[in-house]
Amino acid sequence: MKRTRAIPAAAVVVFVAAWSGVRLSGHRGVPVPAGESSAPTAADRVPIPAPPLPSVRIPQRVPPFTLTGLDGKPRSIAQFQGHSLIINFWATWCGPCRREIPLLQSIASAWRGRHFAVVGVAVDRRENVAKFARRFKIRYPLMSGEQDALAVATAFGVATPAFPFTVFSDERGRIVALYLGELHRPQIDLILGVVQALNANRIALPAARRAVATGLARLDSDTAAG
Amino acid sequence: MLRSAGLPGRRVLAVCIAIVAVAGPAQAKPWWLRGAAGAGRDFLPPGVAFRVSARIVGRRVAIRWDIAHGYYLYRSKMQVAAASPDLIVGRLHLPPGVHLTDRYFGAQEVYYRRVEASVPFTRLDFGAHPLQIKLTYQGCATAGLCYPPIVEVIFPDAYPAAGAAPSPSTASAMWEWLAIAAGMLAFLVAGLVGRRARQSPRPDP
Repeated sequence: MKRTRAIPAAAVVVFVAAWSGVRLSGHRGVPVPAGESSAPTAADRVPIPAPPLPSVRIPQRVPPFTLTGLDGKPRSIAQFQGHSLIINFWATWCGPCRREIPLLQSIASAWRGRHFAVVGVAVDRRENVAKFARRFKIRYPLMSGEQDALAVATAFGVATPAFPFTVFSDERGRIVALYLGELHRPQIDLILGVVQALNANRIALPAARRAVATGLARLDSDTAAG
Repeated sequence: MLRSAGLPGRRVLAVCIAIVAVAGPAQAKPWWLRGAAGAGRDFLPPGVAFRVSARIVGRRVAIRWDIAHGYYLYRSKMQVAAASPDLIVGRLHLPPGVHLTDRYFGAQEVYYRRVEASVPFTRLDFGAHPLQIKLTYQGCATAGLCYPPIVEVIFPDAYPAAGAAPSPSTASAMWEWLAIAAGMLAFLVAGLVGRRARQSPRPDP
């Protein structure tokens, strides 16, 4: 009698053990890469929500730095003291950087002799930059460097390097704007107009920065609407 | 007593709310950091704009880049190299991309949205080391921003093998139902055996 009762009891134990064993084996937690299915879904077309490039602490003034000129000699930003600066960070492998060079050339020519200077900082090998500058006949001053130029980019607050980015400062070396991405004529004209007003003491620095921010936002919305 | 203690607490709370109200928007949108015109938003960090996943399919590693809307990768800049000991990797097989004519770079092949590539590999370590492959790739935002070449080491072993076996979720579900069925069958058999044992005449002691 005892033996016959023990058989169903053992079956129950086996059943429960098998069930719980499968439940606890953790197969459901196997990591699967995001979006593993190869069939395109509607979700593929949705931009990935994410934080923007890390917010950076832009210095109030242009930090002092020295890099190598195209002739191989050290070149300091201090030599442009008293000038309003357009410091353009770029690289020869960067398409948008190349596209904005003619615009920077024309700005450098148009503002020559008016205490404005365009300075190119190439985060690249000097040989590449020299070859490129010859080919495209870049006439504004260029500096270049690799890790040292990246360190300069970081000093301007751009910790995650991405190019181009351009810093605008007034005659006193105060930073008015940092523009991330390719520059176009309306943006550069707007910022230079504000820098000019700042140099002529027609506007205070906080108001100048606000004017740049609101002006760029307006241009953004105009472009989006157009 | 309680009322007088509550008042400073409320003031502190009000000050905290004021600080958060003032500091919150300022931190979210720094006044001087602007994206390119027409972008309508700030740029993404490279690790978010270009997301890589990989898995082993037989003797190849399938690598996939998911590219955020408004960003692209250059085909010519994609490279692979062995990063773990005694591993040999072959040539990276890439699908044809979209032809983009750049004024300065000429004709370029780029990928939007997604690209799936594969690379053959041979392990001479009999699986002693985790499989590591070094990827190099480079991309830009169409709004006019480029990231320097990104170098990343991937671990395809971390993901289950695909292709030959059913997917892990299907496999686990199958085993689960098999165990339930086996348990039920065992229960039924045990019940039948018990019944037969009760019905059969017992020999006298």
